[in-house]
Amino acid sequence: MRRTRNLLLTVIAVVLFAVFLDHAPDFLNGYWQRILNLIAINAILALSLNLIYGITGMFSLGHAGFMAIGAYVSALLVLSPAQKNAMWILEDIYPWLLNVNSPFIVSLIAAGVAAAFFGLLVAIPVLRLGGDYLGIATLGFAEIIRILITNTARLTNGSLGLKGIPAYTTLFMSWGCLGVVLLCMVCMLRSNFGGVLRAVRDDEVAAKMMGINTFRVKVIAFTLGCFGGGLGGALMGNLITTIDPRMFMITQTYNILMIIVVGGLGSVTGSIIGSVLVTTMLEWLRFVENPITLGSFTIPGIPGMRMVIFSLLLIIVIIFRREGIMGMREFSWDIFFPKPKPKPKAEHDTSGNVLEVRDVVLKFGGLTAIDTLTFDIKRGQIMGLIGPNGAGKTSAFNVISGFYKPTTGTIRFLGKSIGGLTPDEVCKAGMSRTFQNIRLFGHETVLQNVMTGSRVRQSYAWWQTLLPFVFTDVIREDARVRAQAMNLLEQLGLDEFAEEKASSLPYGAQRRLEIARALATRPEFLLLDEPAAGMNPQESEELLQFIRRLRDEFHLTILLIEHDMKVVMNVCDYIHVLDQGVHIAQGTPDEIKANPRVIEAYLGKGAA
Amino acid sequence: MNLNIFIQHFINALSLGSLYGLVAVGYTMVYGILRLINFAHGDIFMLGAYFVYFATIVYKLPWAVGVVTAIILTTICGLLVDRIAYRPLREAPRISALISAIGVSFFIENFAVVVFTGMPRPVVQPPILMKPIELSGGVRLIPLGILVPVVSFVLVGCLLWLLYRTKPGLAMRAISFDIETTRMMGVSVNKIIALAFGLGSALAAVAGIMWALRYPRVEPFMGMTPGIKAFIAAVFGGIGSVPGAMIGGLILGFVEIMSVAFFPTLSGYKDAFAFLLLILILLFRPTGLLGEKLEDKI
Repeated sequence: MRRTRNLLLTVIAVVLFAVFLDHAPDFLNGYWQRILNLIAINAILALSLNLIYGITGMFSLGHAGFMAIGAYVSALLVLSPAQKNAMWILEDIYPWLLNVNSPFIVSLIAAGVAAAFFGLLVAIPVLRLGGDYLGIATLGFAEIIRILITNTARLTNGSLGLKGIPAYTTLFMSWGCLGVVLLCMVCMLRSNFGGVLRAVRDDEVAAKMMGINTFRVKVIAFTLGCFGGGLGGALMGNLITTIDPRMFMITQTYNILMIIVVGGLGSVTGSIIGSVLVTTMLEWLRFVENPITLGSFTIPGIPGMRMVIFSLLLIIVIIFRREGIMGMREFSWDIFFPKPKPKPKAEHDTSGNVLEVRDVVLKFGGLTAIDTLTFDIKRGQIMGLIGPNGAGKTSAFNVISGFYKPTTGTIRFLGKSIGGLTPDEVCKAGMSRTFQNIRLFGHETVLQNVMTGSRVRQSYAWWQTLLPFVFTDVIREDARVRAQAMNLLEQLGLDEFAEEKASSLPYGAQRRLEIARALATRPEFLLLDEPAAGMNPQESEELLQFIRRLRDEFHLTILLIEHDMKVVMNVCDYIHVLDQGVHIAQGTPDEIKANPRVIEAYLGKGAA
Repeated sequence: MNLNIFIQHFINALSLGSLYGLVAVGYTMVYGILRLINFAHGDIFMLGAYFVYFATIVYKLPWAVGVVTAIILTTICGLLVDRIAYRPLREAPRISALISAIGVSFFIENFAVVVFTGMPRPVVQPPILMKPIELSGGVRLIPLGILVPVVSFVLVGCLLWLLYRTKPGLAMRAISFDIETTRMMGVSVNKIIALAFGLGSALAAVAGIMWALRYPRVEPFMGMTPGIKAFIAAVFGGIGSVPGAMIGGLILGFVEIMSVAFFPTLSGYKDAFAFLLLILILLFRPTGLLGEKLEDKI
């Protein structure tokens, strides 16, 4: 009902806008038509950079370079041989290039594909870097692309640039392209794959543990974003009809960055609003650079003033309203209608070892974090791992879950060696974990956090999310995963928070949500890193019950790090004790309580 | 290539490299402390060049007075940038400060266009710095070529002394290690950060002045490319390390000058070398030559 209504409203809005565009030439002069075109092109560029940066969290400053590739590819394809002959003055054009010619639409797709191809080439080495380094490296690539264009005159006509490009970018063309980009992007971001992208932004480590190959996801998002950059560049070239390498300096990237910062990083709606505002403002601000005549007075224009005001606004926005206009929110027709009241609504074999750890040693340079650790966990067991601070417990967890590679030794999980596997592969094999310092995808809803955990068990491919109406699996599977996630939340008593932001939950609920998210990957083996940390005695009593329930209802095998001795002694079937990386004792809770070496490790020599 | 020409190139590379190094030191100090790429640093460098231009050529102050005035004014600008655009964002996500830095850089460049106009202005070089000295073997050197590296090395030497032998230096190193703990030790963190910005800006001013003398002109966008290259030098040497920044700057200077000297056909690609170097070092040794490893705690 609500969805049909919203879809209908969207269709009406699109039709009205198309009618407006159709009649725009009757009442808008060329200047205003150009601004309308620029808004659409800037929106495409902003959406694509937002996909890379705002949504997936990769700080890229290379967009101008990908625009340049798109603009050149398209221009070279649509220029006629006669024009090319006349334009290449200093050096001759390559003969094969002279006669290449294609329709505009084909050239647009070629522009996007070429930019995406370069994007992929850049992404594979550079996305291994994080944060600021990525920004500088992408900026470097954009600059290299510009230098290459300047220096390959036979291909690009060098610093002279290309002139007389046919002005194919009409209002229908630019807004049509924006419509397609917008539709694909909104569909993708609404699917569970979109949730995965945001999860990578919020916490890459936790995303890996949810079975997500974060590097691959980042490469996909980056390449798609570059496609948008190339498309925008091509439309831009065919709008202003001349291009040269100086057009694609870093300033161009800053403009797009400004749009997405003003609109709100991570918000599609924000990118559109930002494009409208920034594009019109940049045009409007031209007045400060032109002389103004007031009666008999003439105020001389001030060259450069436009960008001064522009940059000041950027600084003011970032200092006083960092989240921009929309923050991470999105437009929805729902805001015009009263909110309906939420209604309350309505799955082994038991033998053998789940995990076998044999002679595992973990060294960091000269420091030995774990010294020859060996133990087994039987199916259905709850095993405790205890020891004083710095004993190597979390290091052991990190080795088992694939974040560190053991220096020597083997780890077998469900009979298969997992020694060299990455966290996402370990997760796919059926292991999941929580973290000592809770790592949720803080900006996402509670429900989306759990759904991200389910992504690893979904079968559709990322590209199908671009066209969910064709690949209906996407819609069906997301609905199934959503229902499962709700079910899980209900079982853990979190359903009332389903639509809240994960970071807004109280501490205890965040711990339970982390477990719910881990369960959504459908593990057989769960690692809990200090689940009782920060809980009061009553809460840890509840936790005891909860951990037993996990084993019984979800058929799990559990390995647990814990400092709260009451929890450990009550819930664990068997306990291993580490001290300074050395495995010093093992046994049932009663044996451990009486073991002099354990008491010594905790309380010091002489205490026993 | 005969010896004479080679020595010319060598001196050229040495001065260019030490200028990069001098600017890179400012980047590396700020990054080491705040994990912030101060994009405006290259523009601070440009301001230094303009101030000396106005002081000596427009207002006809003696060179020594003009240089000191320019350094002081540039330092004040650097401090203002920190106070206005970065300090309000200390508790914000790092990316906000980075965008603010981009805004500041953009602002300074365009403000310079408004105030100084976009036209490049020629700088009159003092004759004493330009009169060639004849060495044995027919090698001719201009004093400026020697002055630039000497001044740079002396200044970086002073900075190292300050960092490793004085209390404020100790505080600065402590902050870069752990800002919260240092605050609890009673160090006035904002003052020390301001000191880092001040020192960086003063060094950038000196570099800007020498740059203006070397390529005798000033223009509003002159800080952009050297700024980015100096940051690359800082990353190359290992971000956070002052000696690393200087070494990175020198390597960059030598690569740029020597590659064009030996392969003149590559001269169009001169500006691409720095970026290639950057990408290579990031791929094979992301911490740079002298940098320390930073790891995400799981």
